[in-house]
Amino acid sequence: MITVDGLTKIYGNRTALDHVSFEVPKGEIFGFVGPNGAGKTTTLRILAALLEPTSGRALVDGADVIEHPDLVHDRLGYMPDFFGVYDQLTASEYLDFYASCYRQPKARRKKIADDLLELVGLTDRGDQAVDTLSRGLKQRLCLARALVHDPAVLLLDEPASGLDPRARVEMREILKELQTMGKTIVISSHILPELTELCTMIGIIDQGRMRATGPVHEVIRQLTAGRRLRITVLGQKEEAAAVLKPLSAIHEVVMVNGSIEARYDGDDAAAAGILQTLIAAGIKVSGFSQLEGGLEDAFMKATSEDI
Amino acid sequence: MNRLAIALWNPIVAKEYRSRMRTWRSPLAMTVYILLLGGVGWAIFASTAASARNSFNGAQAANYGQILFLWLILFQMVLLAFITPALTAGAVSSERERQTIDLLFVTKLPAFSILWGKLLASMSFVILLLLLSIPVFSLVFLFGGIELDQVVIAFLVTAVAALTLGIIGLACSTAFKRTLPATVSAYGAAFILLAGSLLFGLLFPTEINPNATRAPAPPAVTYLSPILPLVVIGTNGLLNGYGIRNGGIYPMTQGGGMACSAGPNGTQSCYMTTVPIGKGAFGQPYNPPQPSGTTIPSGLFSGWQYWQATVTMQLVISLVALILSAILLPPIRHLPWRRRDRGVA
Repeated sequence: MITVDGLTKIYGNRTALDHVSFEVPKGEIFGFVGPNGAGKTTTLRILAALLEPTSGRALVDGADVIEHPDLVHDRLGYMPDFFGVYDQLTASEYLDFYASCYRQPKARRKKIADDLLELVGLTDRGDQAVDTLSRGLKQRLCLARALVHDPAVLLLDEPASGLDPRARVEMREILKELQTMGKTIVISSHILPELTELCTMIGIIDQGRMRATGPVHEVIRQLTAGRRLRITVLGQKEEAAAVLKPLSAIHEVVMVNGSIEARYDGDDAAAAGILQTLIAAGIKVSGFSQLEGGLEDAFMKATSEDI
Repeated sequence: MNRLAIALWNPIVAKEYRSRMRTWRSPLAMTVYILLLGGVGWAIFASTAASARNSFNGAQAANYGQILFLWLILFQMVLLAFITPALTAGAVSSERERQTIDLLFVTKLPAFSILWGKLLASMSFVILLLLLSIPVFSLVFLFGGIELDQVVIAFLVTAVAALTLGIIGLACSTAFKRTLPATVSAYGAAFILLAGSLLFGLLFPTEINPNATRAPAPPAVTYLSPILPLVVIGTNGLLNGYGIRNGGIYPMTQGGGMACSAGPNGTQSCYMTTVPIGKGAFGQPYNPPQPSGTTIPSGLFSGWQYWQATVTMQLVISLVALILSAILLPPIRHLPWRRRDRGVA
């Protein structure tokens, strides 16, 4: 659905994007993460045909963003990280205005506005002036605006930034609903745990270069070197640590919230061997599980070293 | 809906009408406009009524009517020169400042439609102001001296001048990212168009041919200003030379550098008292140019009415400014002479 190939953007002598490439198949939710100034917004603006790349190409549903921006605009909904609203318009009129800008027939516009207000939970705010809405409600309204022409692709630039925890949860629920509607969504965000839960694919960008891209768990597995075990024992923590530390497969043993976390090399058989050793040493093991590295770990790894 | 209807009534126009008419600013602007125009009309009406109380005849009434009309139409032009740039100079730049322009660019509205919508909404307000002024102008017909066609042409000249100022404001708004420099530039352009072109004509008038029987046309650049045709229409006057060396805008019998005396049969004999460059010689007989009428006697627009030249030049400027704006506005400019590196590394 989205193809980005060798995208480069140079401002003067600063390279904002350096041969960025990735693909997002239809129906996926692609989380685009990276530190501030990494090139996320630049990439999204190029995909929205709002910015011309220095070289490379980007396709949205087969339409080149430079050659056919009209087709691109027809197929995607864009929500920028910062946006304003018009004075003197109600939420319903705001959506009606953008629906008419997308050439939606007049007879359908009211239904479109009503349906979208319901989708984003603003049905009771339809007659309220948009400039009097809170930031969270404006974010939701802007998301509704991006959907007025029922696009197949959604580009959401930091949709949860500046929202309180409740508004974030509500935004996440709306995005899940959109996922079930079959939309392909590209979402940039700094809130990594939410992305892990929401996204099916991820791309990590840093200093204009794509560090890793692919399905979320695959990227995490690639980037989090070593595997971790969480071991819970009945009162013999020191003894258990003393048994674990000399083992050649174990790299590190730490106490976390009453449990032991051990980083090790090897496969499931190695983990089973560690468990056997503990039991053979007389340690009463009440819990033994493998921990998968989180997106934070992957992100820190990807953005802290040159891959 | 056909393309023309879409172009004329695009969503921007409806949105702008809604936004504009829901604030207190528009009714206030209309009220102040009418009060100012009506105030000038009343002041002139009152002063002419006072002088007409002693002696009044049809010819004087016509003269009063002309004076009233001339003042009103010139004052209206000056008012619109202040109002129109304010309406359009922030049209695009305020969208940038408000961070709403990207949301418009990602819709199916072409950049030209955005411009056109903004222009149409602003100019509709100007047309509304012109319509509101009609009752004030009807005062003129109490005196006479002004025909309906003069009023219509004067309003046309005023409307086209306002359109030009509006489009220049829009171009400034497109070219500058911020509203303040866009507004300053738009007012600068308005000053140049209205007063600068007239000043140029005053300072650098057309050279007079001593053998010519008619006054020379002002330099073509002066036709840019709507003031010149409005004076000609308002006075139904004869323009006899223009420029500081000729003594002013109105028909004259004696100007800088010349001394005239009455001759037999109402003729005049004039002599050069100074030696302006290219205008005869000191002490030599000089026949003053005769009034050239309301048509342009020579030059690029020879034979045209003054207002026709002004309207034509302003429409050309408007078209150029509009095309320039349409080129500058889109976030990605598809210019035919630009080569793109489409290579994939």
